[in-house]
Amino acid sequence: WGASCLYFPQTEYTETVYIGQPAGTPLLQLHSLLDSDSERPHFYLCWNSALKIPVYSSWFNMDLHTGVLSLNKTLEESDFALLNQKWSVYKLFLRTMVLPSVPSGRQCGHRKTARIVLDFMNASVPQCAQTDPKELCFPHKDGAIPHVMENRYPGALRQLRRLSRAGACPNYTITYNVESAPFAVNDSTWELIVTAPLDREESERYRLLLVCSIRTDSVITKLETPLEVYVNDEDDNAPFINGTDTADITITYNRTKGGLFGTLYVYDRDLTSICPEPRAQCQNKYVWTSLNSDPWIKQTFDLKDAFREKKSALGGIRETVLDYQLKLKRSLVVNENRSVQLHYLVNDTTYPGLRGSVLLHFNVTILPVQIQFPNVTQVFTVSRRASVYAQVGRVCVENCPEFDGFSVSYRLELPDRNMSSSAQSCLSAISVGQSPDDQWGVLFVNDTEPLGRPECQALMYTVVAQEEHTLMEASTQIQIVLEGDASKARQESPEFSSCAGNKRRGECESMRGLGATSGRCQWRQGTERGISETYSTCSPDLRTCPDTFCDAVERKDPSICPQDCTSEEPGPVVGGYERGIRDGIQAGHGTCYCLTQRCFCEKEDDEVAICDDMCKTVIATA
Amino acid sequence: RTIAVQGRGCLLKEVHLNVTDLGLGYQTKEELIFRYCSGPCVDAETNYDKILNNLTHNKKLDKDTPSRTCCRPIAFDDDLSFLDDNVVYHTLKKHSARKCACV
Repeated sequence: WGASCLYFPQTEYTETVYIGQPAGTPLLQLHSLLDSDSERPHFYLCWNSALKIPVYSSWFNMDLHTGVLSLNKTLEESDFALLNQKWSVYKLFLRTMVLPSVPSGRQCGHRKTARIVLDFMNASVPQCAQTDPKELCFPHKDGAIPHVMENRYPGALRQLRRLSRAGACPNYTITYNVESAPFAVNDSTWELIVTAPLDREESERYRLLLVCSIRTDSVITKLETPLEVYVNDEDDNAPFINGTDTADITITYNRTKGGLFGTLYVYDRDLTSICPEPRAQCQNKYVWTSLNSDPWIKQTFDLKDAFREKKSALGGIRETVLDYQLKLKRSLVVNENRSVQLHYLVNDTTYPGLRGSVLLHFNVTILPVQIQFPNVTQVFTVSRRASVYAQVGRVCVENCPEFDGFSVSYRLELPDRNMSSSAQSCLSAISVGQSPDDQWGVLFVNDTEPLGRPECQALMYTVVAQEEHTLMEASTQIQIVLEGDASKARQESPEFSSCAGNKRRGECESMRGLGATSGRCQWRQGTERGISETYSTCSPDLRTCPDTFCDAVERKDPSICPQDCTSEEPGPVVGGYERGIRDGIQAGHGTCYCLTQRCFCEKEDDEVAICDDMCKTVIATA
Repeated sequence: RTIAVQGRGCLLKEVHLNVTDLGLGYQTKEELIFRYCSGPCVDAETNYDKILNNLTHNKKLDKDTPSRTCCRPIAFDDDLSFLDDNVVYHTLKKHSARKCACV
């Protein structure tokens, strides 16, 4: 399984050294896990750079075959002084590598290495009587967690004995024990060994309890410490499909470039590492290939892949789920009409065995979009008193809110070319507008003069919808009924102001405002305290303003509904408010009003206070 | 320097407040140092102001009362950002004076 790959089961080894420890004292032992019984590890001290070899490196010797680090010389007080250290401990850092053969140089290079950290104490070795038994059994501090690669040859993992303290108490007999298969202790070498190959897909982590027994002539002392061993993953599982390998997709109204359709799942019990591109070095590397040769398919469809990690329902072992979604590479024209079958080969390129791939299928049906209106004549009513830019209604071809990837624009035409010129002049009353991101056409009052003429009564229009790419058209008749007294409407002034400038209800409701459907502005009374989305304000039409959306008609003149359309450009809103996602005021404090595009939100002191429970009690008792 | 020439009395003063004291409707426990301009501007008055004063006094301007020189910020403090009780972030701009003058 894989190439020869000696590795250290832990990345750091720590020990303490003292002044007076004699030459030849063993300090610690490294271990390397093997791929086969015939492999022989060779241990070396190595340097990152020949220029950075530390002065203390010659004090230590690494045994090539056993991995035992020992002292080359007796440590003297002058050695500690040489390090020019003010504190009582100095940390000595060494780096070590393991190779199956003799290396060409002593540079660590890009090989995986382990770090050795030795705490050099400015003190002599503690005597047996002064030593805590725990110190004899286990390292003073041990943050290194062993990691064992799955599917590898079993072997020694760690030296449990503190070699540097082995001679401290000659009358003590120290033994170790662990009772968690597949781990054991070699009684003659004090090594923790893993007795069988591990499988990460079975258990990701082993919790061991190490027991150390110190036997003297009279007593046996038992000490315990926990040790966790993690199992590293390799790509030893083939992908599989749990459920369906086929997705049936119908593409209709959403035909936009980048649109995603259907999801197929591929499972892999191995983990996928997140690593930078190119992922050549990465485990569990997946690639997909299209098995379709049709150029139209290649230009139109793409596969979007993503992977995530999930814990299996059984045993809670982590595994990988890959999601594959079909993606449109380009927007489809509305009259595109065909069915295709797409086949993709998904391959786990790092899986060494056969059957490292699965097949995914997408049955795609692309239906053409019919641009048509509902088969009824729509009737809208508009007050003869309506102001210019008053909204009358909305028009839309069938299913238009679902359209994506193409758009339909609307225009108004005369229903009959042989109309009299006076009848034609009535039709200037209404126009249609459309926001760039909206599929609806908005009918609004374009000219108020015909509204005051008695001969203009029911206005008939033909609405023509045109698709942008194919120029396909559809049309329908609409009727607009003018309501109210023409003579009264004619007396109204043709001057309009902005409703939004009013701070009070009375002034608001008596004003003839731009965009007002009934000719008069409308007042919204806020009821909430603090900064509220239902702030008090004066609007031409409470159905469309404020609704935190600056629509196609409101866009035509910034004074129609500055509450929805004000931007940071003329300066932010003054007072307590919250900005909308786009432009406009999302929420305001008290009353929000706008003068020449600058908006203010404030609570008036003399505003009629909303009667709270306290005030009701006062009124009731009075 | 300029401040000393134009009206000795117009000064920058400061007060320690809770953001809720500002009356803008924000609900938060955050606090701030609010700086404001205050003081008389008699020193900075010109012939224009004297004439206006005389005309208003002699009721020559009907009901019109034009603005006189007053002590106002000519520069504002840095923006103030805070979190409200619903963990929504707000930023106040031009809320506190940095420099005052009679204008």
